[in-house]
This record gives sequence, structure tokens and C-alpha cells, in this order.
Amino acid sequence: MAYEEFGLTEGDFYSRNFQKGMREDTMILNLGPQHPATHGVLRVIVELDGEYVIRAEPVIGYLHRMHEKMAEGRTITQYLPNMGRVDYGHALGWNGALVGAVERLAGFEVPERAEYIRVITTELNRITSHLLWWGAFTLDLGAITPIMYAFDDREQMLDILQMATGSRLTHSSFRFGGVCTDLSDRFIETCKAFVPHMRDRLPMYRGLVTDNVILRKRLEGVGIFDADLCRRYGASGPVVRGSGIDYDVRRAEPYSVYDRFDWKVPVYPAGDSMARYLVRMDEMEQSLNIIEQALASLPAGKIMMPKAPKVTWALPKGESYFATEGARGKVGVHLVSDGGKFPYKIKLRSPCYCNLSAFAEAARGLLLADALAILGSLDLVIPEIDR
Amino acid sequence: MTETLFDGLAVQSLAKCDPAKTGLLWSVFLSPDELLSAVKRLYQAEYFIEDLTAIDAKEGYLLVYHFDHMGHPGRVALRVLIYQEAPELPSIADVFQGAEWHERETTDFYGITFKGNPNPVPLLLMPEMKGHPLQKDDGARASLADLLPTGEIVRTVPGFDLLTPKAESGAATPA
Repeated sequence: MAYEEFGLTEGDFYSRNFQKGMREDTMILNLGPQHPATHGVLRVIVELDGEYVIRAEPVIGYLHRMHEKMAEGRTITQYLPNMGRVDYGHALGWNGALVGAVERLAGFEVPERAEYIRVITTELNRITSHLLWWGAFTLDLGAITPIMYAFDDREQMLDILQMATGSRLTHSSFRFGGVCTDLSDRFIETCKAFVPHMRDRLPMYRGLVTDNVILRKRLEGVGIFDADLCRRYGASGPVVRGSGIDYDVRRAEPYSVYDRFDWKVPVYPAGDSMARYLVRMDEMEQSLNIIEQALASLPAGKIMMPKAPKVTWALPKGESYFATEGARGKVGVHLVSDGGKFPYKIKLRSPCYCNLSAFAEAARGLLLADALAILGSLDLVIPEIDR
Repeated sequence: MTETLFDGLAVQSLAKCDPAKTGLLWSVFLSPDELLSAVKRLYQAEYFIEDLTAIDAKEGYLLVYHFDHMGHPGRVALRVLIYQEAPELPSIADVFQGAEWHERETTDFYGITFKGNPNPVPLLLMPEMKGHPLQKDDGARASLADLLPTGEIVRTVPGFDLLTPKAESGAATPA
């Protein structure tokens, strides 16, 4: 083994594995699993020539909980709350994917009002997720103040979301065939008032951070993801839209009632960290547009289909795949059932997992500090990667 | 477009599915030898890899590869059956580098070997861990015909009966 020739017998399995084939004049640096720039237990091993990254390998799995095995030991209804735990940032994106897969397999018709409620809460949740990313990312880059502003707005939105979902973080308010609670008048009132407030905040964010010359210098031209790289690694979400590809699951595989609203898919062609940043900033505004229209045209009616499944309900036989647009990209649930009490198999497609897998290639040849900026620009939520 | 994508390729079965009911547009059964040629064609047609996983069934491990297109969406599922006694098939990480992690994960969960994977070490599970958590016991395995819809079969090779129900009723091959 090469590492023994170099006298490298220290380190754990992954560092020894990484040392195989290293150059003689380089240094290996281990970041994490506890590292301030990785927001969770992500570990990256890099081989450095001076300050330049020659090779990088993310080591994941520290937060692995085997959600796919859990699915095989409980009914699908019991499994639903797991979705909010896969991605705490955009829990409702995952809620939507699982209920979508089940409703597709079972042929359920969801009442219109429930679909509107799903859209409103999912988009609110998307904004809270983007705000969390924005605060944490700018913190990575050395700006301490923005997260205070982000959390101010996010806090208010969590209060609003709590009225509709009952929780602040691991939301789990979707049900097979509807949603669990109706929107209260207070929710509608508060949310209607919040949308213009948030819209006024966005130009301030732009003035405060986005147009800041230091931020621009750190992000522009750094960490280019081209269209081919995105396809080879299956990247999605703001990552591909920052690479000039107009691809949003809400448009590409229309689901729920997104086709009834007037909104744009923000696309930036540069493919750099700045482009990914700008996509998310614009998306918050688009989500506000969707929320505003959905609130204005909220239909009356039921929020659950008649004879909705109970806890012991078993899935019908068959296979289905359902994708939604999560805050980080394409969330997919692949469901296989043999008609038994528990699902036969569930595969969770995590957008972060695919986006991060492209990091090693995209970081090659960059300064270490820039590589960390790429990690931040990917908006990583580790529990979603590790599942 | 996909209709002609697999022309000239020895697929075992090519079926069109209803995306509203399954989420798939095409379901393609292949032998392990044909997998790489099919994957290369998808790459040339600018498809992207969504995910890959295995289904542990009576007949063997059914590997399922999902691809989609960003310009004209429509999911393609490539399906390759391998036997539990010799769970091995070629890696596609040379064409779609993103498959490296998905394959390592599938190795962790099912003990399937992907020949040619550039970094075949455990990804999500501990390197010291023995066993593969998603493998099913013999008694718990279902037959593929009970799990997967057949779709509308466009072409198939004679003798391909994976999705034909083998129940007592002896149902005829769905056309």
C-alpha cells in the first residue's frame, strides 16, 4: 500500500484510503466532521499543493439513520413524519414527495383547497430554508450581520408556519389525500401582511450583501458547474438553474396547483457560486408571488378527501415515483409495494447528495478557501445527504 | 425521442408507462452486458442521472436506474436483473460520475458489487460493519410480477416473462 511506503499508518479508514496514490510533495488536510464551515457533520478530505486543492473527497454518513430501512418496518402513515427529519430545512418539500408518491400509487384525488394549502406552506418553507442558507453562507464568508436579519424574518415566518403545520422545524402537516389542519383566519391575515413586508426586505438584502464587492469577489467566477457536469452528477435545483438550465420540477413535472399561478423560474448562466446565490435570492421573491396569488384565490371546501387512509392502511401493489422541487433541488421518492402491511421498498432521492457528489470535481484546482465557498453555495443540509 | 433511443440495442423489454400513474415514461429491461451501451446513449442524448437502487425480489436483485431529461422531461427506468448468488454488474460511474456514490450506497445496503467503481469503499455505513441492511430474508421476498406494472410493451424478446404473474391461475402473457 502506497501510504505505508510514505510511513502513513496513522488515521482512520477514510484518511488511509484517501492517501493511496497521493503525490510526494503535497499535504493532506482533513476538514470535519466537526467543522464550522460545514454546518453539520460533513467531513471533507483534501490533498493540497500549497493552498490549491488537487483532490477532494467528501466523507459522508456521520448522520446516516437508514430512513430507507425504517420504511420497511412500519406502515406508510407511520413513516410520514420521517420526511420532516430527512431535510429539516425544507421539510414540506419532502412531505410533498412522499404523499405525492402514495397518492399516485393509490390514485387518490386531493381536494383543491388542500393543494392550495400545500403550495402556500411549501413556499413559505422554501423561503425559511433559503433564509437559513443565506445567513449561514454569508457567515461562512465572514459576514456576521446578515444572519441576524435572516433570522428576524425567518422567525416571523416560522410563527406563521406554526399556525398551519403545528411545528416550527420538522413540519409534517401533509396527509395522504389532504392536509391535517385548515388555515385559520389569523394565518391568512398574518401571512397576507407578511408578504409585502418580506418583499420590502429583499432589496435591503441586495443592498446590504448581494452588491457587496467583497462578496462578489469571493463568489464570481468561483466553482463553475457547467451543464455537462450537472448532468453527469445529477445536480438539480438552484445549482442547475445557476448553470443556465431552466429546470424546475414544478414546471417540468407539474404537480399540485403550481400551474395556476404566474411565476418565473430564475435562471443565471454563469454557473459560478454567485449564480447559485442569485438564483436563491430571486426564488424567494417568486415564492412570495406564488403565496400571494394562492392566498388571493384560495378556494373553499374540504381539506381531506373522503375515506382518507388510517394508520393501519396498507399500500396497494405497485411502483411509483414522485418528484418535487425542494429548496435544494429535485426531491424524489421511489415507492415499491407488494400490497403488504409495510412498504416493500422506499428509495429517497436527495438533491443535496447529488449536488455534493459533484463537489470533488468542481473543487479541483481551486484555492481551499474558494472550495469552502463552493460548499456553502451548494446549501448543504447534512441529514438529507446521509438520510 | 426516447422511442428511437434504444433502437438496435438488445433490450429484453421496452415498455411505455403512464407518467401520471407511475411517474415513469419508459421502463427498459436489460441484461448486465447491455447496460453500459444503454447508459452511454442516455448520456449522449443529454439525460441526467437521478438515482439508482436495487429491489430485492424472489428472482434476484433488480437494479433500477432512473434518468430524466432537463429539456423534455420523461423519466426512463433501466432495469437489470442479477442473481443473489453472484451479485455483480458493471459500474456506470465512468459515464455518469454521479453514479459512484449511488453504487457505493447500493453496495452498502445490498452487498452488490459494481465492477469498475473508482472508489469502492463503504459510503454511508461504517467500514467495519458486517451485513447489508436492506437484504430481505427468503420468505420476505416478493415476486417482481407483483411489484412492478408491466406498462404498454413496445417490444420484448421471446421468453421474457419476468413480469408475467406466475400465480395458480396461469394468466396469459400481457401483450
